[in-house]
Amino acid sequence: MLWVDKYRPKTLDKVIVHQDVAQNLQKLVSEGDCPHLLFYGPSGSGKKTLIMALLRQIFGPSADKVKVENKVWKVDAGTRTIDVELTTLSSTHHVELNPSDAGFQDRYVVQEIIKEMAKNRPIDTKGKKGFKVLVLNEVDKLSREAQHSLRRTMEKYSASCRLVLCSNSSSKVTEAVRSRCLNVRINAPMEEEIVNVLEFIAKKEGLQSPQGFAARIAEKSNRNLRRAVLTFETCRVQQYPFTNNQAIPPMDWEQYVSEIASDIMKEQSPKRLFEVRGKLYELLTNCIPPEIILKRLLFELLKKLDSELKHEVSNWAAHYEHRMRLGQKAIFHLEAFVAKFMSIYKSFLISTFG
Amino acid sequence: MEFPDAAELELLEANFTFPDDDDEDLIDDLDFDDVQTSSEPGSDPITSPPDPKPTLTLPPKPQLQINGRKRILTDDGNAVVITEEKKRSRVEEAEDEDWLRYSPRKENEQEEQVVVELEQEMEEEERILARYAMEIDGDCVPVTGLDGGERVYAKICRGEDERVKKLEVKGYSTGLIQEPVRALMQRVEHDQFTKALEASSEDPSEANLPVGTVVNEQLWVEKYAPSSFTELLSDEQTNRQVLMWLKQWDSCVFGVEIKSTTDDVLSSLKRHSLAVQHPRRFSRSSFGNGRDPRRDNEKAHSDLHPENNDSDRIKDLWDKKHRKGGPPEQKILLLCGPPGLGKTTLAHVAAQHCGYRVVEINASDDRSTSSIEAKIHDVVQMNSVNADSKPKCLVIDEIDGALNDGKGAVEVILKLVSAERKLRSGKENESEGGNAGQKSSKKRNQKGSLLRPVICICNDLYAPALRPLRQVAKVHIFVQPTVSRVVNRLKYICNRERVKTGSIALTALAEYTDCDIRSCLNTLQFLNKKKETLNVLELSAQVVGRKDATRSAFDIWKEILQKRKVKQTKKSFNCFSLMSNDFETLHSLISHRGDYDLIFDGIHENILQLHYTDPVMQKTVKCSDILGCSDIFHKYTMHTQHLSLQVYQSPLAMSIHGLVAQIGKPNIEWPKSIQRHRTMSIEKKEILHSWKNKIPPCISRHLSTESIVEDLISPFLHILSPSKLKPVALHLLSEKEKADLAQLVNTMVSYATTYKNIKSDPSLFMQRGASDASMLSLDPPIGEFIKFKGYDSCHLVLASAVKVFLVHEAEKQKILQGSSNLHLPPIGSESQDVSRCANSSTMSKASASSDKTIHFRDPSRQKQYDLPAASSQNKRSAGGTTASGKVSLPEKKKKPFVDSRSFFDRFRKPSDKATQANDNAKPAQKLEERDSRPLLFKFNEGYTNAVKRPVRIHEFLK
Repeated sequence: MLWVDKYRPKTLDKVIVHQDVAQNLQKLVSEGDCPHLLFYGPSGSGKKTLIMALLRQIFGPSADKVKVENKVWKVDAGTRTIDVELTTLSSTHHVELNPSDAGFQDRYVVQEIIKEMAKNRPIDTKGKKGFKVLVLNEVDKLSREAQHSLRRTMEKYSASCRLVLCSNSSSKVTEAVRSRCLNVRINAPMEEEIVNVLEFIAKKEGLQSPQGFAARIAEKSNRNLRRAVLTFETCRVQQYPFTNNQAIPPMDWEQYVSEIASDIMKEQSPKRLFEVRGKLYELLTNCIPPEIILKRLLFELLKKLDSELKHEVSNWAAHYEHRMRLGQKAIFHLEAFVAKFMSIYKSFLISTFG
Repeated sequence: MEFPDAAELELLEANFTFPDDDDEDLIDDLDFDDVQTSSEPGSDPITSPPDPKPTLTLPPKPQLQINGRKRILTDDGNAVVITEEKKRSRVEEAEDEDWLRYSPRKENEQEEQVVVELEQEMEEEERILARYAMEIDGDCVPVTGLDGGERVYAKICRGEDERVKKLEVKGYSTGLIQEPVRALMQRVEHDQFTKALEASSEDPSEANLPVGTVVNEQLWVEKYAPSSFTELLSDEQTNRQVLMWLKQWDSCVFGVEIKSTTDDVLSSLKRHSLAVQHPRRFSRSSFGNGRDPRRDNEKAHSDLHPENNDSDRIKDLWDKKHRKGGPPEQKILLLCGPPGLGKTTLAHVAAQHCGYRVVEINASDDRSTSSIEAKIHDVVQMNSVNADSKPKCLVIDEIDGALNDGKGAVEVILKLVSAERKLRSGKENESEGGNAGQKSSKKRNQKGSLLRPVICICNDLYAPALRPLRQVAKVHIFVQPTVSRVVNRLKYICNRERVKTGSIALTALAEYTDCDIRSCLNTLQFLNKKKETLNVLELSAQVVGRKDATRSAFDIWKEILQKRKVKQTKKSFNCFSLMSNDFETLHSLISHRGDYDLIFDGIHENILQLHYTDPVMQKTVKCSDILGCSDIFHKYTMHTQHLSLQVYQSPLAMSIHGLVAQIGKPNIEWPKSIQRHRTMSIEKKEILHSWKNKIPPCISRHLSTESIVEDLISPFLHILSPSKLKPVALHLLSEKEKADLAQLVNTMVSYATTYKNIKSDPSLFMQRGASDASMLSLDPPIGEFIKFKGYDSCHLVLASAVKVFLVHEAEKQKILQGSSNLHLPPIGSESQDVSRCANSSTMSKASASSDKTIHFRDPSRQKQYDLPAASSQNKRSAGGTTASGKVSLPEKKKKPFVDSRSFFDRFRKPSDKATQANDNAKPAQKLEERDSRPLLFKFNEGYTNAVKRPVRIHEFLK
């Protein structure tokens, strides 16, 4: 087991990073009921950990006993029946699913399957825990229609069911859904918090970590706790008695992106753009989300850029990211951004150096 | 004036025929000749009036009729003018005539005032009618008007004298012949007229046919369709090959002797080749060699040797080739090409030329399989009993038309062909076999073979329905005839039709329609009808419509990325019209294709390879913006299904054309990379997904596929390949190293990764050992996710020995986890377990190496665990072990000893229980009993059970 999993807090009171949130949740649960919840925050900040801890807090250890089910649901959509394959993770008290897996059919998942699950009151209702919890992951990837059909479900079956939504960004969850939930923002942990966690792990593992080493990892981790812990373990595997100047292995794809960035900086021409396209294809083929590529690319470019251009370039990056989300072929937009950057940079070079 | 008129009109109508008939008597004789020569059809009905009424006794009346048509003038003043001034020009007369013809009502009203109008023939300048006798040379007859008493002189034609007399005699002395002479005359006249009509319609090249008449106007396309082989406009080579193919049937269809048509054909071919291409002489020596008989045949045809000589030789060759009178190798001819090039015409003309009667089946006929089958069989296998008894030739037009229908025809033909094939091969076999077989084959031969030529015509050779046909048929692809040929023909037709056009305009038209003769002719006829002339400048505006030609994606990319060369002739026009013209064509081209997604993919693929000047990349930015725009567009239209919005895609492509199009020829490639990217990313997503499903839920629930790729994989690979791991036996490791190893193995197990031999069967590599273990790689191939082209990661690769070692350990760990899950807290005791199991594993390895099979016999235990659930669990444990590459399920089933299974189950069960809630049948007490002695076995099941002996536990624990 990786340290990430090994030292994941199982209960709310053991939480290190988001202690305030955990306390609030504990208070919420102690009254025996809780509203619909929407957890949002960047990846690696501990949303899922908190949700699991919350479930455990509500239902006790039986919430940990989960089983995976891969089931094909037959959904009646007017004139025809649609088969929707969905993987669910369920315990006796809760069901966890990822409705956006169904792609463009997510509407049916929400309309039929979730409704079906929400309708059924758990059988062993003795007293106060007479509700089940539905955990929906990646709500921000749900289509607008699916989110619209979600809100009615949330109201109608609130007696028997609580929804816990989990998303990276609240902005992609519709206003209507957001207003029906208690929004819990899980921000990315501060670097100090990450250092705390790493030191905690080091203590548990009985490791000697030199001063500032954890801080370096935390800095590299981009405020992503998962990545920090993983990197820490990697360092441990590669070279144990830690040294302060130990090389921290980079993420491979980030390394690749920075190579692309330096390619772009070296030459600006359609020919170079063509080479860059090939590399972008490589990244996309390896399932790295295009938004993340764009973000990282911008980050790498900004590092090497004159400050007067930074603003403009960031503006264009936002522009092209927006278009990318509107469109379908990510490569078109990524490439358009690169072309735009090349154009800006080249004219800047010409105007500066003649 | 209106009301009283009505009553009068009725009255007049009642005896309207009187004056008519009166005229007839007199005038028929006068101008009979005129009727004959004139081919004007309008004259026909009036010249054949009913028989004269018996009441009519009046002598010839002044209402003269000339040319068999009644000339009645209604206007008083006009009549005066006409009658008094006979010197009007012919044109005026014609006008009056027209006017007269369309006002029959007035004519009736003013019958009393009717005045005869005399017509002059255009050819003969001399007067027929005049007021004064001296104005007419030759004999004349005085004619007096009924009321006014006007007197005019009418000329008498000499040639008709005799007939006139006859007429007069017989007209009034009835009884010498049974039929009145009027009827006879009418019949003769009618016969002659129909003859004339027939003659004119038979010979379309007759120039003196009036153009504008409504009744018998034909489409020019049909009118000027080539009726003989020499007039064909299509490509010379193709024509000849088609004819050749048809001639090859001769021996089969017409019997051995080749009909006289051969000479016809040869001469026509000869003439043709003379006219069109320089004769290619063929030396006799190459003939003798006969490398390619068919080609030689063709050449022979185009050769200019004396016909007899030639045909004999050809006949010989054919006979040689086709085993005396066999039909050609490929029994079906498939003509394909764009519309309007004359495929159907060629088929018809060629078939007729060779003496066939053409039976055409086209898209307008019923083409269901059943009906068409009967029809084809009729044509292909039967001889007609008709008088002409020409053999039939089947022409299936538009065979690619509708998918289903076309398929019917194709199927039937294929059936025939394949039957033929079978038959032939059967025949060959049978002929070897003996005579008895031959008889039966002959019988069948008559039944199912293709005895007549079949010509199929299609536009799209690559239509899916035609795929099977393509393989068996002889395919001829029509190419566009040269513009000059088309223009020559058009000119010829224009001359015939007296249409004024310039050759420049015709050239432009031919180019515009891609040498589609049909559309050219239709356009010309249409314009002619509208009395317009072909205008070169406004061709696109003027021509009714453009052919709806779909071009291939490559053509479109080329059009977009390549600037058209401005031709010299076009330079004279102003720039604006040229641009708009270009714009139009590009627009229609792109929107006809319609597959915008593909078009833009192609543009994207190729645009960066173009050599356009772009110092600050502005063009590139614009282009990529446009591409992005089209992508957004596409997604939106697809998402909302507002497909009408697709219209706006083609302007996007055109703006790209405006930005980057170059004159140089671009090197266009199919958009492979984006498609490869799509398939590969789908593949990789699938890998990720299945991996995620394999990871136990308590871990995988925290991961999304994105976070796996983003955060997890790189460090995970580092963690999986520690630098200091030594491939030595466990007991040689220090405590710390053991702990590390345990941690590593634990990670591997919990993330469901293992090393696997990719190439060879996973169950084999264990036996082979380290020899080919170098091919070991991670089982979910997650290493792929950090492989980028042109990037080398700094990941360590473990030695293969270490990998093998790790696989062993991981397997053990899996078994161990199963047992430890239930009672021991997972983390604390694991290292203990590992160290404990280390001993046993080394032992078991030793035993495995000597291939010893070990069986544990414990009957009491076995009974205890012989539970109803056992069978399902057996399977599970079997699955687990097969995965580890040690045992396979069938082997196990054969084994007589069941105890080994149940022994395994002992360790399996708890783990099963952890996941399987319904496994409550097991008494807890027994579990406790078992777990009080924590022992671990690595069980190596051999493939042989030749050596069986009971072994006690303590022997292992020594």
